[in-house]
Amino acid sequence: MPLDFAAIQPQIAQMIGRAQTQSTADQLQAACELLRTTDSARLRQVLQERQQRDRIPWLVATPRGQIGARHAVGPLPGPDFSVLASDGSSIPPDRHSPLRFFLVNVGLALLTYGRRPDAQLWAQSRFRSDEQDIYIRTEGRRIPMEGARMGLQMALDELQALWEAAQDVGSGSPLLALRDGSLIFWALQSEEEAVVGHFLPQILDCLDRFRMAGIPIGSFISYPGAQDVANTLRLLICGQDPKHCGQCAGATDQERSLCRAVADFRDQALFLRHLRPGERSTVFDSSSTILDRYGEQRVQFAYLHTGDEIARLEAPQWVMSDETMRDFLFAAVMDQCRRGRGYPACLMEAHEQAVITTGERYLVEQMVEETLAERGLVYVRSAKDRSKRERGV
Amino acid sequence: MARIGEIVATSSSSLTAASFALHQPPPLGSLVKVTVEEGQRRVYGVVSFGTTTGLDPGRRVVRRSTDDVQDAAIYAEHPQLDKTLRTEFQALLVGYDGPDGRTYQHLPPQPPPLHYSVCACDADEVRRFSQRHDHFRVLLQTMGEIPAEQLLAAHIREMYRARGNDAEWLAAAARQVAALLKGEYDRLMGVLQAIEPA
Repeated sequence: MPLDFAAIQPQIAQMIGRAQTQSTADQLQAACELLRTTDSARLRQVLQERQQRDRIPWLVATPRGQIGARHAVGPLPGPDFSVLASDGSSIPPDRHSPLRFFLVNVGLALLTYGRRPDAQLWAQSRFRSDEQDIYIRTEGRRIPMEGARMGLQMALDELQALWEAAQDVGSGSPLLALRDGSLIFWALQSEEEAVVGHFLPQILDCLDRFRMAGIPIGSFISYPGAQDVANTLRLLICGQDPKHCGQCAGATDQERSLCRAVADFRDQALFLRHLRPGERSTVFDSSSTILDRYGEQRVQFAYLHTGDEIARLEAPQWVMSDETMRDFLFAAVMDQCRRGRGYPACLMEAHEQAVITTGERYLVEQMVEETLAERGLVYVRSAKDRSKRERGV
Repeated sequence: MARIGEIVATSSSSLTAASFALHQPPPLGSLVKVTVEEGQRRVYGVVSFGTTTGLDPGRRVVRRSTDDVQDAAIYAEHPQLDKTLRTEFQALLVGYDGPDGRTYQHLPPQPPPLHYSVCACDADEVRRFSQRHDHFRVLLQTMGEIPAEQLLAAHIREMYRARGNDAEWLAAAARQVAALLKGEYDRLMGVLQAIEPA
């Protein structure tokens, strides 16, 4: 039935009213001032003390340089270079189907610039139905591949496809491998050990192959929702144990007001005011506990003003600590955003290759049904699903 | 003969082919052929339209030029355009080789198959086919993107050029057009003015 737009409209107006207030703008300015003036050596000491003393219930970021540093993104290493990107989409397991399977479609784009411009766009489809692919076995149980675990499987497939493709690229000019989304697989933190043990070694192995081949790999997050740096500022504003935040008794009115405001700020709002187009922040270490298991592949991040928005770039520390690789990462991403009208052109093309249309999803289901019919098997979906498809009156 | 396209849509009256060269469909009005029945017979068409668009209908063509990058340089700046754009051309079917070895200048009994190759006709094929003008009638009756008179004029110019600027042939073609359009002065003059040699 149609939406009740008359009821929704005033609620939308209320939401906008709450979002835009002068006090929010003032608090954002104060937060940016804190960003500019904080001494990072002192900050790193405070962070270390606070993390040892208190249980910090949110992610914080430890700056490698000055927290308020702004670095102009340098030029590309030369006219000849390539960017290889991957993106994925999936047909997840369908609980209304009698058969359990899923499909991951990884789109890839290799764009080469310079004296011999070229583009290769393609997709790899991986249909999985074997027991070992659709379940993770542990202690006599089967953990189904669905939900967040499907997302992890897709990310792993993207990384592996990226590596396979990177091996076929000639070594004549610099190559950057790039994926969409985070390299910090937060989802693993809420999974049981069997799932972590299934995915993490494969992910880290893939990243390590890039390291051994000397190919920088990074990820691009558009309009990130992260608050790592904002949370770090909260620890500077107030020295109280965060477990008292509910009462907030020890802070002054000014501290309380600023802290509450900063708690709602995303990092991208801070850096949009702080950075100029073409500048990046310092590199940060995330406090995400899953990174403690990343070893040499520990992921770091930085914010980049692309000219259109603040993007978060992540890469293993071996990329971020290598000046040549790091500078190439940021220069190539800036260049890609310029060519892609605000978003990396290679990621856009990889996405287009990855997309599974509604028609294609239906076609896969048809193929399954027809193959069953050829073998004399009837394909019966759930009654709920049939009722949704029929929509009878 | 080099392949210039592959049929991606076919019907009793026309074919649409994906051009192998981006931005380079065969010239408007030129004669093309599809070889069918294991190389035994040909179906002939006159190129009636050409277009270049995005491969995916869901993606709009957007502005790419800047003060520093324009025209051909855009394709070096965005190499993926070679893979995400496509050029297509349409050809009206105007004749075919019959089982008796004769060439007929009317609609073929069957459309040429999908995915078959389209080739440009060589000089001999152009000369033999254009000896007769029966297919002019087919071109004049078409209702496509281009006015029929313009298409016919383009075809006559192409045949004239392919026949080495054969003035005698051009005069005969003009007489045939006059006979077909004798009751339609404006359309007739439109064609005659468009085929007059410079």
